[in-house]
Amino acid sequence: MTNEKAHTDTIDSTLAERRKIETTVYQPAEDSALLADAIHEQGRGRLLEVGTGSGWVATTTAADVDAVTEIVASDLNPHACHAAAQRAASSDDTTTPVSVIQGDLLTPFDANSFETVAFNPPYLPTDPDVEWDDWMEHALSGGPSGREVIEPFIDSLNRVLAPDGIGLVLVSSLAGYEEVIRYIETAGFEHSVVIEESYPFETLSVLTLRQQ
Amino acid sequence: MKESLMDILCDPLDKSELELEVDERDGEEIIEGRLIGKETGEVYPIEDGIPNLLPPDMREE
Repeated sequence: MTNEKAHTDTIDSTLAERRKIETTVYQPAEDSALLADAIHEQGRGRLLEVGTGSGWVATTTAADVDAVTEIVASDLNPHACHAAAQRAASSDDTTTPVSVIQGDLLTPFDANSFETVAFNPPYLPTDPDVEWDDWMEHALSGGPSGREVIEPFIDSLNRVLAPDGIGLVLVSSLAGYEEVIRYIETAGFEHSVVIEESYPFETLSVLTLRQQ
Repeated sequence: MKESLMDILCDPLDKSELELEVDERDGEEIIEGRLIGKETGEVYPIEDGIPNLLPPDMREE
């Protein structure tokens, strides 16, 4: 009970900390760097980054990852879309095009479109009674379970992946690692860990998902 | 958005094809215009080069 209370307090303070920094667009943090590292190792072809936020991962990938030939970055937040488009436009790298689309998860994309789909989902479990109803809530909150955004993403990932395409998905222990793995397996994906880091209150992993 | 993106975009409502209407372009880049669902008739605006393909019930305004 005491532990559970401490755990909840930790999540609340993490949210508060992150919210203090920025109220409109999620700025790059440890999880962004981990996703960028995983893309560096495994990304290729036409890559979709879902929930691009400030566009840091997309623009870094365009500059650093030769195997990625084209990047589409999406977000449901119009402020994030503008920030990502500006970041891409001001980048020195012009060989890898970065396009920004405002949309919800994978819904605006055709079947078999991407060799790589990368996603750092909002995953912090939040109390349904505490609603800020602003853009940062969308960027951080994974609903009461922490999994309310990653699950519909996994449901439709297979549709947009090209044959032999891969998903690169960041999973936090705060969202329940085992539960996410079970969901991924039930959806028919093979998975392996590309990279993993432990922090005081969470472990972050980036998983590769392949269609079985 | 680049016109070539039409190959990988679809209507978020039913995954059907979209039609592109251009008001302003800069070479390959569409600056202002709209995408229209061929089946649904839904209109998705392109503003400042960014297409808004959120389904209608998720759009603020």
